[in-house]
Amino acid sequence: MMALPTIVLVSITVFDLIRFIPGDPAALMLGDMAQPEQIAQMRTELGLDKSMPQQFVIWAGNVLQGDFGKSIVNDEPVLPLVVSRFAVSAEIVLVAVLLASLIAVPAGVIAAWRQNSVIDLALVGTATVLLSIPTFWLGLLLLLFFGLKLGWLPVLGYVSIGTNVVGGLLYLVLPVMTLVIHEAGVLIRMARASTLEVLRLDYITHARAKGLSESAVLWRHAFKNAFGPTWTMIGLILGNLLGGIAVIETVFTIPGLGRLMVDAIFARDYPVIQGCLLFVALSYVLVNLTVDLLYPLFDPRVVAE
Amino acid sequence: MKKLLLAGVAVLAFTHGAGARDITIAQSSDLRSANPGVNRDGNTDGIILHIVEGLVGYNNSGEVKPLLAKSFDMSADGLTYSFKLRTDVKFHNGKPLTAEDVVWNWTRYLKPDTKWSCLSDFAQGGAAHVTGVKATDASTVTITLEKPSAVFLGLMSRPECGYTGMISPDSVAADGSFVTPIGTGPFQWDEWKKGEYIHLKKFADYVSPENDGKPDGMVGSKRPLADGVKFMIIPDASTVKAGLESGVLDTAEISPDLIPEFKSSEKTQLIVSRNNGKNLFYIQTRDKVLSNPGVRRAMAMALDLDELVAAASNGTGEANGSMVSQDSVYFNDTQKKRLPYDVEAAKKELAAAGYKGEPISIIANKRGNVPSFPAAIMAQAMMQQAGLNVQIEVLDYATQVDRRRSGNYQVISQSVAPRLDPALMYAFYVGNKDKNASLMWDDPKAVELMRAAYVELDQEKRQKIFDEFHELMLKEMPGIFLYDMVDVWGATKKLKGMPVWQSNARLWEVSVEN
Repeated sequence: MMALPTIVLVSITVFDLIRFIPGDPAALMLGDMAQPEQIAQMRTELGLDKSMPQQFVIWAGNVLQGDFGKSIVNDEPVLPLVVSRFAVSAEIVLVAVLLASLIAVPAGVIAAWRQNSVIDLALVGTATVLLSIPTFWLGLLLLLFFGLKLGWLPVLGYVSIGTNVVGGLLYLVLPVMTLVIHEAGVLIRMARASTLEVLRLDYITHARAKGLSESAVLWRHAFKNAFGPTWTMIGLILGNLLGGIAVIETVFTIPGLGRLMVDAIFARDYPVIQGCLLFVALSYVLVNLTVDLLYPLFDPRVVAE
Repeated sequence: MKKLLLAGVAVLAFTHGAGARDITIAQSSDLRSANPGVNRDGNTDGIILHIVEGLVGYNNSGEVKPLLAKSFDMSADGLTYSFKLRTDVKFHNGKPLTAEDVVWNWTRYLKPDTKWSCLSDFAQGGAAHVTGVKATDASTVTITLEKPSAVFLGLMSRPECGYTGMISPDSVAADGSFVTPIGTGPFQWDEWKKGEYIHLKKFADYVSPENDGKPDGMVGSKRPLADGVKFMIIPDASTVKAGLESGVLDTAEISPDLIPEFKSSEKTQLIVSRNNGKNLFYIQTRDKVLSNPGVRRAMAMALDLDELVAAASNGTGEANGSMVSQDSVYFNDTQKKRLPYDVEAAKKELAAAGYKGEPISIIANKRGNVPSFPAAIMAQAMMQQAGLNVQIEVLDYATQVDRRRSGNYQVISQSVAPRLDPALMYAFYVGNKDKNASLMWDDPKAVELMRAAYVELDQEKRQKIFDEFHELMLKEMPGIFLYDMVDVWGATKKLKGMPVWQSNARLWEVSVEN
């Protein structure tokens, strides 16, 4: 229900904010040698001489017809540009979040099940360390170790899996590993906390009193109810990462959405910034909508409510 | 596992990587457009340099020499230039360069629809208004100007103008829209994977202009020794370093902080090359405090320029207080003059100017490859010794450009891209500030001298103009020139040749050992 107003609000905010940042795209575009008249002419060509409400109405009208405009920097249509870059980011993010979830959720549940044991302390300690490491630093460390020292993985560049499966996978390893390590830390803690809460409830005691095995209690009764908050967290992480892994993309030279957005911000490429952020907002809303719709699979009470 | 990964890397290198003798180079941003002189920036110019050539080009000393032309002559009145074309030049599509092609190119450049960056220089009111271009015979082209211009040939050779590169008429579609650059340069257009890389391949039929066997700026020997050049887009300095150390990259500009590491490395080499760009403190001469020349001179005298330059450039730069580059034919003893480092004299100047400790703000940015911030930090410390109340304001580059364009600044720690003719360098700073707020100095005498430098054709007379200009600058000190820009590049030990010239990659006469 809130999806549409969210996107409208985001688009208005983004449109205004980027125009409040100092820096004239026409001056940047034309470079040092441009005369004031040339800059003024370029501003007119780009429609930047119109009032902000006028510019917004034109842009929003075009967007509603599927026209996101053209990049000020290289004259490319924004929508195909954003979609192609998003596909690159999504490839990495989806694999990373899937792997992080597969590792972190069981680890969190086990940590909760063995609360205060050595396993719990080790898992929680590891998780805290992992989520405390900045991704750019972690990425560089992995790159230096696996790429430079061991020479196992390519240091830089990017190959799409569609072009070359082996090559594509090799190029994915380091960025995915960086994200998995970082996000697994967050998810382990979340899975542990929510499982602990559930394990304290009466129905778990009841299940144990019935003589069910610990495995059945944990995975059949506790996990299903405990997974809800973790599922929400996975959705938030997914939405967040899809919106920008600029740091990872910069370190590993991946031509993804985050890098496109950062480059566009430095160049004050308004149409690309607007297109990227609108797309990010849209994907965030869609991911969270999907998460909400799938929630009843894990917690039937949501449907009842 | 290890074997599997190594096998994968090997397969990848075989299937995807560039040919064994390609040169792979990093650059910080993507190509803007393959259309020469249209929608450009520094990185774009560097790529275009390998693909197209103009009738003339700069040599290492900043003199303009024939390139596609075998020779050129100027009429006695300075209004007509005749270019005799070389007969050994072919476009990348195999067609020979003809005088008609040159006329077609000039006609295209001068059309407003082409959106050539330099149109205003060659159009009416420009520094070199071209009134006619015609083919006198199959290999001679005549270009006429409205009035004599000392910078006509220099403007033609500028990177910002796409070197006024000659492209084949087959480069554009029937409707005149640009398709692909079919030039005459040592490398030809191959592939552009946006956001990833640009690949050029060797032009096997390339013939260098007349030369002495050595590369010389944009002229000289220009043999493509590598099979191709791959420009990879890598914005992050740490990744560039990793790429050079791993051997994936053959060469790239590196952060000056890495100089000691690259000097001592067994895997890599350090390449340091001075260019004609400038690092300076750009001063707002209309500011309430800084409008007094005494304050500006005091700022200059407070700087131990040699120390400042050594620190800001990591020992690679050499102090030069002139607008004229040290490598220019116009750099003489007069241009070497600068105000002395004298803190006591600076204090006296400040007292005489009535300076009462008003704050002076230096705008700086932290872009990795320019000394804006370290130079500002050093200057702040030195100027404070003389009693100047200096503060530093760090901005991102786009905001800095905005502030300079609007005139809303006191001092900017600025770097200016190379301009090989001093008059073209002057044009960045000098002129009417009411019409163009981004200019630094609007002293009427300075404007007059700059205009004279634009039209005076005689080299000796030009020298006198530049010397008079420098003396005036020392008196007025509208900006403090620190040193000529330095390109700091890294390369693997396998790379042979000099891969950089005037801040641009220049990869002819450069090879990589297998």
